Amino acid sequence: MSNTMPGRADAPAAVAGTSTPAGIDTRALRTRSFSSIVNTAGVYAIAVLFLALGALLQATGAISGFLSAQNMLNIVDAVALVGIAAVGMAFVTYSGNFADMSIPTTMGFTGYICIELLRYNFWLAIAGAIGVGLLIGLLNGFVVGKFKANPIIWTLAVNYVTMGVIRLVWVNKQIYPDLVGSPPSAVALFDAIYRLRFFNLIGLPLVIMVVLVVVGQFVLTRTSFGVKLKITGSSPRAAKASGIAVERVVMLSFVLVAFTATIGGLAITSLSRVGAWYNGAGYDFKAVTAVVIGGMTLAGGRGTILGVLGGSLIIGILNNIMTLLGIGTFSQDMVRGAIFIAVVGINALSLRRLGRDDA
Amino acid sequence: MSDTSSRPALEMKHVSKRFPGTVAVDDVSYEVMAGEVHALVGENGAGKSTLMKILAGSFDDYTGEIAIGGRTALLHSPTLAKRHGVGMIYQELSLARPISITENLLAGRLPRRGLFLDKARARAQAGELLSSVGLDLDPNLPIEDISQHEAQLVEIAKVLGNNPSILVMDEPTSALSREEVERLFAIIGDLKSRGIAIVYISHHLPEIFRIADRVTVMRDGKKIATRLIGEVTREEIVQMMVGRSVKEFYQRRERSVGDVRLSVRKLSRFGFFHDVSFDAKRGEILGICGLSGAGRTELARVLTGLDRADEGTIELDGARVQGSTMADFLNQGISYLTEDRKVEGLAVRLAVDDNVMSAVIDRLSSGGVFSKARGRPAVERLITELSIYPPDPSRTVGNLSGGNQQKVLLAKWLANEPRVLILDEPTRGVDIGAKMIIHSSIEKLAATGCTVLLISSDLPELVGLSDRVMIMRKGHFIREMPYHECSEESLLLAATGEGGAT
Repeated sequence: MSNTMPGRADAPAAVAGTSTPAGIDTRALRTRSFSSIVNTAGVYAIAVLFLALGALLQATGAISGFLSAQNMLNIVDAVALVGIAAVGMAFVTYSGNFADMSIPTTMGFTGYICIELLRYNFWLAIAGAIGVGLLIGLLNGFVVGKFKANPIIWTLAVNYVTMGVIRLVWVNKQIYPDLVGSPPSAVALFDAIYRLRFFNLIGLPLVIMVVLVVVGQFVLTRTSFGVKLKITGSSPRAAKASGIAVERVVMLSFVLVAFTATIGGLAITSLSRVGAWYNGAGYDFKAVTAVVIGGMTLAGGRGTILGVLGGSLIIGILNNIMTLLGIGTFSQDMVRGAIFIAVVGINALSLRRLGRDDA
Repeated sequence: MSDTSSRPALEMKHVSKRFPGTVAVDDVSYEVMAGEVHALVGENGAGKSTLMKILAGSFDDYTGEIAIGGRTALLHSPTLAKRHGVGMIYQELSLARPISITENLLAGRLPRRGLFLDKARARAQAGELLSSVGLDLDPNLPIEDISQHEAQLVEIAKVLGNNPSILVMDEPTSALSREEVERLFAIIGDLKSRGIAIVYISHHLPEIFRIADRVTVMRDGKKIATRLIGEVTREEIVQMMVGRSVKEFYQRRERSVGDVRLSVRKLSRFGFFHDVSFDAKRGEILGICGLSGAGRTELARVLTGLDRADEGTIELDGARVQGSTMADFLNQGISYLTEDRKVEGLAVRLAVDDNVMSAVIDRLSSGGVFSKARGRPAVERLITELSIYPPDPSRTVGNLSGGNQQKVLLAKWLANEPRVLILDEPTRGVDIGAKMIIHSSIEKLAATGCTVLLISSDLPELVGLSDRVMIMRKGHFIREMPYHECSEESLLLAATGEGGAT
């Protein structure tokens, strides 16, 4: 079939009986790309505001050391961990399936797998952990994509089932990379996942996050998968009736979040030097919050990975300020929850104001 | 006119409403008398809906003056509008499906006795409202257990429960059968006699001539004219709507029909259609006529790969269609324009270009990398060809008028460069201008050799465009008619089975 998309050569150039309306409204021509730039820039502007807030708090003496080089490094390292998980999460949110709530135990579980396999070979351990992570993603994607299970409920259930598996298999024990009979060289490599610094400054997780952001942004905006995901996220039934394999697209987005969760989980396990079920605790909500603050609406099909990076930055700075202020973990959760609700609310309101609710 | 000597129930004076970049309603004055049915017509995008939204209290920034019952009213919120006695009946129902008719009808004002619901009184009130629209239903039934047209009448009853003095009906007959329309008209007559002012919006001009007392035509946000219904002709109204005189609406084109392109043999989907066989040739427009439920849409969904056939074969240019998914079918050149534009047709939150390219993503990609630039010339050409307005590829589809959305949907399927284009109600609910453009585009496509299957309930459309019409009844093809035998009457007789078998 001689179908190259751009047009039947003999197609009618104009249609009889009508003329193209005069007075072409050019004002709106560039609005879409412009508004998405403003949105993304807005996220970074807020990040800068939070930095300024930290500086102000330091100036008033409420906190100390915020602007120190060491603290900036702490922020960046924390942002890297959130950002890695958030890039994957962004694909699920963009697909219109809200969030993958199973990433905390995916992170914990793949950490255990890696440490267990470390005795054979470091690279085998990494591959094994990623393999198991991808299997979890495949399962989530299959059930949500094919059977239209409620993504939140299903992935929450998987989170708890995985937690149960961890506790059953390892009888409630934490495991340590250097105490499972692994060769010291493998343990050293494992420790380096979090600790390797280029030029004594840039940590490996940060490098990984930047790579994931760049690749993620490319995949979302420039690949056929990304374009299909956009239509699927905006209107799954229209996507299906356009010949898009919706199940496969959704499945792939869950595989991606499981992949980035596994990478994040390995970094955290390397940081803590222990395999523990709680290693990824809280990363589900941190990642979703970063995604939503980054301008990706829960309704799907909107937003950018660059925005999500900005969202991760905001979360990282905010956590740091709260820790310096001596705010406890639970109160921090409360603040994050409140911000999440506020952002989702503002998004919904502003979209309704613009009349872009659904139309 | 029954009661025009009385005061106007509604007066809108010099009302305007601006949106960024457009004036949707431009200095419109409009009045409705008590007991009058005042039709409001205009193409999609003419400003009717916005005018009615103003009346419904959707905007707090309109300008001009609105008086209800002779007193100035500020309609800055839906609650205020309701309190002033404005009742809106929308095309899409606002009923909650799982709960009972009573609870829907009396939502927000269920009678109480002390702390508890007064069930007996609620039932009685609901029964009264139901009988006011001629329904004899058990008010305890949930909405999902009653038929579509009953639900529509319940919707009217619900609005009547607020004792409106002004009732706005937006395309109330679009989902109704002939008998149901008659029933609705009887109810409208009754409402008139009770002194309710009715604003009646419809694309269906014959209806307006049946029930309206006056008609107001809008175009481009402005009021063009208000006329007594007895002093205006259908042609005049159409002319005012489109702003030009309508030439011969369907000019019979020269037909050059080629070899067989689509060959369907003994195709069945059990429970929907059975043993369907036909050939469609290159350049042919083959109409498919039948009542709703005759199996037309189900047939289309199988021909397009959305559903699977239980038996039978589909051949395209002499070869069996390969594969089983919709993607397989559309890659072999079968396009299907769905009847359900908003849900299955378009991603209304996305831009025009996203939608137009959505069925050909793989073809615009190489090695998994998508090139929007490669699709852009086609998008721009289709925007020009179909006069999509505004001609802006990045405009959100949901912000376009219905007619322009429909053109975007057609553009999406033309972008697939179809060998066979299946159209399911291609002009339902669109204005005359868009309809003309869509029709001429279909004819031009056929002239290039594309085979068109046209499923339509719009009989003039079927008669005007088809080279041949297949009649479907209860899941079977019962006969075919060459175009010179087709008329609205002959098709209707065949489709309903008057005087025939079954």
